[in-house]
Amino acid sequence: MNPHAKLISSMSLIMGTSITISSNHWILAWTGLEINTLAIIPLISKSHHPRAIEAAVKYFLTQSTASALILFSSMSNAWSTGQWDITQLNHPTSCLLLTMAIAIKLGLVPFHFWFPEVLQGSSLTTALLLSTLMKLPPITLLLLTSQSLNPTLLTFLAISSALVGGWMGLNQTQTRKILAFSSISHLGWMIAIIAYNPQLTILTFALYTMMTTAVFLSLAQIKVLKLSTMLISWTKTPMLNATMMLTLLSLAGLPPLTGFMPKWLIIQELTKQEMTPTATIISMLSLLGLFFYLRLAYHSTITLPPNSSNHMKLWRTNKALSTLTAILTATSTSLLPLSPLIITMF
Amino acid sequence: MALAVTLLNSTCLASRCCRHKVLQPLLGTLLIDSVSKCYSSYRRPGSQPEVTPSWRNIDFSFKKGINALKTQLSLLKKETKDHLTGPDGHSFSEYLLEQTKVMWQFRSQEDLNKWVISSDVEIGGKSEVHLKLGRNNQGAMLYGILNTEVPRDGETKYSGYCSMRAKPAVGSFARKKYYDWSNFNSLYLRVRGDGRAWMVNIYTDPYFSHQKDDLYNYFMFTRGGPYWEEIKIPFSKFFLSSRGRVQDDQHPIWLDKISTLGFTLGDKVDGPFQLEIDFIGLLNDRAHTEEFAYETYERNPRT
Repeated sequence: MNPHAKLISSMSLIMGTSITISSNHWILAWTGLEINTLAIIPLISKSHHPRAIEAAVKYFLTQSTASALILFSSMSNAWSTGQWDITQLNHPTSCLLLTMAIAIKLGLVPFHFWFPEVLQGSSLTTALLLSTLMKLPPITLLLLTSQSLNPTLLTFLAISSALVGGWMGLNQTQTRKILAFSSISHLGWMIAIIAYNPQLTILTFALYTMMTTAVFLSLAQIKVLKLSTMLISWTKTPMLNATMMLTLLSLAGLPPLTGFMPKWLIIQELTKQEMTPTATIISMLSLLGLFFYLRLAYHSTITLPPNSSNHMKLWRTNKALSTLTAILTATSTSLLPLSPLIITMF
Repeated sequence: MALAVTLLNSTCLASRCCRHKVLQPLLGTLLIDSVSKCYSSYRRPGSQPEVTPSWRNIDFSFKKGINALKTQLSLLKKETKDHLTGPDGHSFSEYLLEQTKVMWQFRSQEDLNKWVISSDVEIGGKSEVHLKLGRNNQGAMLYGILNTEVPRDGETKYSGYCSMRAKPAVGSFARKKYYDWSNFNSLYLRVRGDGRAWMVNIYTDPYFSHQKDDLYNYFMFTRGGPYWEEIKIPFSKFFLSSRGRVQDDQHPIWLDKISTLGFTLGDKVDGPFQLEIDFIGLLNDRAHTEEFAYETYERNPRT
């Protein structure tokens, strides 16, 4: 991509995110969201493949609809209450509209259909941005308005996201789609606790970002786009194959890896809030994702895969190994003993 | 009197036959273009005249609806079971192990019903195409006569094609299903042709209508001999075309969302043709390392 265009897109992404998370006025927040949407479009459609263009158009249409709904929600709130403060969203219709709009933005069920397709059409780096950076502004808005939103609706969105994320991820053979459904499932967990303990949502989001970045960077290192390539990557980078499996298991929430920490804390908080059925259902649903990742780890790392490994093009890595991948992988797998320290930080 | 005439005219508006006679004097030249677009008396040759309106053809039957619902629910149950088993209903280890897969084979009429044949009769041409089971129900025979005579309708310039295309896979409640061929890198066909050159087309069913004419094509050259031949076409060779025109901006085919496969004959040679197909399969050819056969360098470098 042209370096100037790349610079403008990246700067716009950072600027848009910063504008939204630092704003108090709805119009400014909406501006940041729109800047983000427009800035990532050239990054998604960079390769000009028909599927990339399709992904870019799908992303644009859904995000614009959601932004328009956010604007409508804030306007109806301003009409009834006379003010545009983000934290003062009081009108019930506005709250409902905002919940739906943020659900579309984040890719929560039942507005998740665009997310796996858009991730599949983008490159691995852009998919990383879509899964992590682009989730930050909507989550921020949700955090600021969480006390006004309907907790039952949020719980419904959370449980259905965990269900669909686990169910649909079961038979995926494309790595980007696997991570898309993992993202949907994680967002479900974040939304489940947002009305009761927003700090846990921030903690879950931070840990999710760290683990997802580790996985995406590992996949980008060995250019793995589908499962069959991932399973024979042990010949190319055996250590990365093993650590990637550990990171994926951490993403699935298997103790004693880092990913277990947010799940444990959320279940504890839900139990304190006397929402034991919700806690039970959501933890049972995360077993679907765990099953899939465990099967993947079994076939790729614990046992040798049955494929023969005489692929000429998978002989050497093209890029130098990045230290960031190593740091993120280490933190994604070994932060559980530091839970008391991490809880105090959020 | 004038009111009665207007009323009569307005009732005439409701019926199709008189509309153009009434609208034109009422609204003059303003509506000429839209009148001609509303309903045209021109009909493409080969298409039947529309005698009954489409809503009359629907058969409203409660019992039929219940049976259809039962069929769809049983399909949904089967899909759920397949989803629990593994990718495409096969176990995960089978997905890891597979190096070949037979997608379509022709052993019964049911296998033939999964395909659709068409020719230039749709645009008014005179080619014929038929599909039947081969000898001993081993393979399908696609045969017919190609005729390149251009239909005389003033707008068609070329004619003479016959094609056979697989019907897209449909799940429960008429949802589209796609094939995932990402484990393979070649198409494997066992055919017996007549020496003619065919074109193999793969359709990946895009979401938006901008790209609905996008097709990935490659050639299949057949020998005319009495022996069957196994043709391997790597997916890296397929080029992108849209509405029959090869695109300048070429991209490799993505194999994770395949909708249909088709064969087309359009070699501008009048006369009979015949193609027997035993099966169409997929192959993971370990010796084939090419990723994409066409230009991938930057066409307009910035230096």
